[in-house]
Amino acid sequence: MTAGIADHWYPVAMCSGISSPRDTRLLGQEITIGREGEQFWVRDVHGKTLPAIARYGHLWTSPGQPNRDLFSIPEAEAPGRRLVDCGAVRVKCSPLRAVENFLDIAHFPFVHTDILGAEPYTEVSRYEVQIREEVDEVWATKVKFFQPQAARSAAGGITTEYMYRVAAPTSAVLYKTCPPRPGEWDIITLFVQPLTEELCDVWPWMALYDDTSPLAELVSFQQMIFMQDRSILESQIPRKLPLDPGMEAPTQADLTSVAYRRWLKRIGFTYGAQVVAA
Amino acid sequence: MPARVDGQDLAIWRAASGQTHVWGDRCPHRGMRLSRGFVRGETLACIYHGWQYGNDGGCTQIPAHPNLVPPKTICATTYACAEYSGVIWVALQTTTQVCRSFPGQAAVRSLAIKASAEKVMEYFSGADTGVVCVGGTNDIALALQPIDATHCTAHALASVSADRKEVSRWLESQRRSIELDLA
Repeated sequence: MTAGIADHWYPVAMCSGISSPRDTRLLGQEITIGREGEQFWVRDVHGKTLPAIARYGHLWTSPGQPNRDLFSIPEAEAPGRRLVDCGAVRVKCSPLRAVENFLDIAHFPFVHTDILGAEPYTEVSRYEVQIREEVDEVWATKVKFFQPQAARSAAGGITTEYMYRVAAPTSAVLYKTCPPRPGEWDIITLFVQPLTEELCDVWPWMALYDDTSPLAELVSFQQMIFMQDRSILESQIPRKLPLDPGMEAPTQADLTSVAYRRWLKRIGFTYGAQVVAA
Repeated sequence: MPARVDGQDLAIWRAASGQTHVWGDRCPHRGMRLSRGFVRGETLACIYHGWQYGNDGGCTQIPAHPNLVPPKTICATTYACAEYSGVIWVALQTTTQVCRSFPGQAAVRSLAIKASAEKVMEYFSGADTGVVCVGGTNDIALALQPIDATHCTAHALASVSADRKEVSRWLESQRRSIELDLA
């Protein structure tokens, strides 16, 4: 495994779900995770201790030597937010396809019909995308889309504004209009644990201003959305994400995905990617 | 619906007018299987982003950009296909061959067999291109769909006056002995 892949941070569990030690898999390698009191630990198959960080409801590790701290989401730490662990959805797809799907809004009317989108409101207006060199992240801003039921807390159809942020190769953050609090953003993240190049655990996590919806409803709303996504992700050919342009045909609505692919290629992140056109 | 021929994934669909199409099972946009899509009139729409493809496989509509005329280069892979005696036939390569017709015969049933199409042809010894003519009172012909090295599907045709149950039972018994032969 090259440093370009090993030296990133990856989610490997929900902190609240770790009691006794257990085995899991990261980038095709067995690892063991556990806790002693409030301290979490991660070991590789040789018993070597790997770095461990508990943040945003999840345990993070790296098989390499990360040259920077795990990304931060300052907004998520603001008081008054409800932090919602959603559990994992296992998907038979490339971890990169899972992230790319999360960055895509054009599928809402067809995959999340009458929830996150509905015909005839299918148009994706122009938005802005940047690869922010100083933080080495991909950002999409001014993304707007009409949604029949944007969130569990939304009463009717609204035009939702989004910002997307790829904070690590397999982790993305979505900032989204918050129905009960105009001016604030709800935060929904997608932390993807690459088990292998074609199998991943997707850990959604949320930091919301929503004091009224029961926890079970918030979680089941997210789970339903990701189950709908899974039916797509497990039917894409090839399973790996093609990084070479020409293999798939993007349009203006896909600017975020185009930037994500370009950024992955630039940083040499090829795990779960198809680099040579088939 | 999905189908596989010679290791290739295909999407078979029928337009509102009744015309049948056999395409590569992959949307050029994001690789989604077109066999999971939905038919709208004379177009097939991909379930992922609703991109629509017309008779010739060319993209006709991109819902994210309703006013855009899709470039001609965005095109599903299409294959020559025909429908005869209740069976859909496809040619994965350009061919000058005319698809065989079976006058007086009709499709009875399709049966998956755990053996390659070649093995099945060998078993019946004396086959032409993928079709085994058994003859007999029911005038049975088997149209073989090669799937991969160990699987095929036999589509059985028989004379319209044949006893369909009898043909079906015969086909099952043939499958058992073909699979036993290989075991």
